[in-house]
Amino acid sequence: MTTFWPIALITFKEGIRNRAIYGITLVALMLFGATALVATMVPREVGKVAVDMALSTISFAGLLIVLFVGINLMAKDLDKRTIYTVLSRPISRSQYIIGKFLGMILLITVTMSILSLLAITAIVMLKNIHAGYFTRFSWQTIILADGLTVLMLIVLSAISFLFASFTSSSFITLVLTIITYIIGQSLSGVKSLLEAPSYEIGFSVSPVTVKVVTAAYYLFPNLSLFDIKLQAAHALAVSPSFILWTVLYGLVYIVISITLAAIIFRKKEFP
Amino acid sequence: MITINGISKEFKEGITGKCVKALENLELEIKQGEVFGFLGPNGAGKSTAIKILMNLIFPNSGKAEIGGKDVRDPEARRIVGYLPENPYFYDYLTTDELLWFGGRTAGMDSNSIRERSDLLVQQVNLQNARKRPLRTYSKGMVQRAGLAMALIHDPDVVILDEPMSGLDPIGRKMVGDLLIELKGQGKTVFFSSHILNDIERFSDRAGIIIGGKLKRVDTLQNLLSGGKNLEDVFMSEVALAEGGTAG
Repeated sequence: MTTFWPIALITFKEGIRNRAIYGITLVALMLFGATALVATMVPREVGKVAVDMALSTISFAGLLIVLFVGINLMAKDLDKRTIYTVLSRPISRSQYIIGKFLGMILLITVTMSILSLLAITAIVMLKNIHAGYFTRFSWQTIILADGLTVLMLIVLSAISFLFASFTSSSFITLVLTIITYIIGQSLSGVKSLLEAPSYEIGFSVSPVTVKVVTAAYYLFPNLSLFDIKLQAAHALAVSPSFILWTVLYGLVYIVISITLAAIIFRKKEFP
Repeated sequence: MITINGISKEFKEGITGKCVKALENLELEIKQGEVFGFLGPNGAGKSTAIKILMNLIFPNSGKAEIGGKDVRDPEARRIVGYLPENPYFYDYLTTDELLWFGGRTAGMDSNSIRERSDLLVQQVNLQNARKRPLRTYSKGMVQRAGLAMALIHDPDVVILDEPMSGLDPIGRKMVGDLLIELKGQGKTVFFSSHILNDIERFSDRAGIIIGGKLKRVDTLQNLLSGGKNLEDVFMSEVALAEGGTAG
């Protein structure tokens, strides 16, 4: 920990002071304001719309932080050769990757906590004004949805570390991470569609396509699994076993991605 | 203190993957307390050799050691302070934070870091800028902050890649004074430069590298014997390497 901590701390400081964070927080603030406005436009659904929009805003702002601040924290070290100075210290490359990732976790957790506080404030305000429309409401599910969003962002960040370990520029890492996010969010739906009987979906799919989608399903993380905003908006119960398996799934993805990143990084040269 | 045993390095270039030899069978030994100047034209292989010593790139063959430890072992770098050519640090960190990071990774406690930081920021003349983010620094100031970071843990071995590059005359004098001070403290200094005057002023011994091959290694006294200056010696080695006549 004595080796990881200095790397994690400078990574966090470098990230939290990035001006992009202030911009993203400002956008999130405006969206929370819009939540209040939009929610009151649908009187009977104020509670559901407020929760859904607040959680979506957190998720969107978190995604921007991972893509435009997080990726830079790792990739800029390589682009700008800051890594020369970092690796000249008595630390191994694996320690560098893990320390950097811990810093990224710290950054995501702190920024998401601030955003969550803002979201909760927006929901509480609306709940006080429109108490009658918040009959089906559960703080517990909202917190769970928020927690799973944070975990999804950490998973995505771990995957961006894996990409950064073998690509040569931050731009390629960014593109690959965005592609992974899009695939990860939609793959589960596509797989269900392709596996449905052809008479139900109205067209037939070749077995090769099914195999490709199935392979992609197991290769890419199923990020839609972490999305329980709908359940939170409707205050639906979420089974503890689902939460447990989803958390475990996320942790396994994180460990695999960071381990692979460390292995690749050990062999990487910095000419 | 620093041993380089038969190191060769090739890089693959372009989409054809054509191999370019950057270093060829480099043999070098730098003793404790010695200030060694590594001289060569641009692209001669100076930085490649230094990057191998810092384990940033790996040799195709050969071995390098610092303080008796293989350079692939992170512990070998515990006694090393390194300043890369044209260093770049974190934009939003301050010099104080950079030095804290350098000290902590070297295993120093907070008090020692504070004491050493105070001394070093004064030496590199960054007292008034130590709390400012590094992105507001000029190139010379970044270079000086990097030098302070390289020295924060009072290393026995100091490796500097083109330490004078980008510095104004005052900065060059400051680095020169630091080199003399390190020499006085008995530190082993390995620095690269293509500026003949710097090598002549500060080195005990110098090596001339051209096209990845070490052409000559000797004490400054021997290199400059017979009233020659380092420019004459260097140019004659370049001419020999190019197949011309030594002038």
